[in-house]
Amino acid sequence: MSFDWNLIGVSFITVFLSELGDKSQLAAIALGGSSSSPKAVFFGTASALVLASFIGVLLGEGTAQILPEQLVKGIAAIGFALLAIRLLWPDSED
Amino acid sequence: MLSNLALRVFLTDNERNMKDAPVTSPPSMQPAGTEQPIKKSPQATDAKATFWGVFLSTFVTIFLAELGDKTQVATLLISAESHKPLTVFVGAALALISTSLVGVLVGQWLAKHISPETLDTLAGILLLIISVGLVADVIGL
Repeated sequence: MSFDWNLIGVSFITVFLSELGDKSQLAAIALGGSSSSPKAVFFGTASALVLASFIGVLLGEGTAQILPEQLVKGIAAIGFALLAIRLLWPDSED
Repeated sequence: MLSNLALRVFLTDNERNMKDAPVTSPPSMQPAGTEQPIKKSPQATDAKATFWGVFLSTFVTIFLAELGDKTQVATLLISAESHKPLTVFVGAALALISTSLVGVLVGQWLAKHISPETLDTLAGILLLIISVGLVADVIGL
């Protein structure tokens, strides 16, 4: 099996540019700087992104048919809000 | 159910942070990377639990935020055009690992130059903005 280095390059650059400054990278900056375990943030972020793109490639048509996008994004919004609250008011959750 | 799981992960991670916090300052207040010398036995398992707590909360949140997002769209457009999904996946995966690494490194760099309190506040505000952006996405769809 021969590898198409050109295609790898195109995929890499496209995805790299579209992710630069995107919310996932901003989240990685925020969490990586303030977390007690930046290594865990890196592995968590990287594996989430890789799995999401794997699913994208696998399905070929996106996940919209299986999971309603609004629901998924809504849950993600709650997740980010929880992380934010934990950083802003560390003592208020007991 | 997913959100429930995420919530539990968030809370346990938080409790963990509280528990092994020294009296003066919780771990989140320390500049990252300057962890105290490793203490033995019970703390070692605590550190492990913190790792998985942070890993899981990060993973779940980012995975959900990223599903159906523009990177995914770009990836599947390229793979559909090329008929070589595996190759496209390898390129995309490398790019995503790189951007995550860059993100965490930038965060670490900031942690060395900004006071922990300020950094936590800024990080919290940034995450709130992301959250609001997602809500706007949902409403605007």
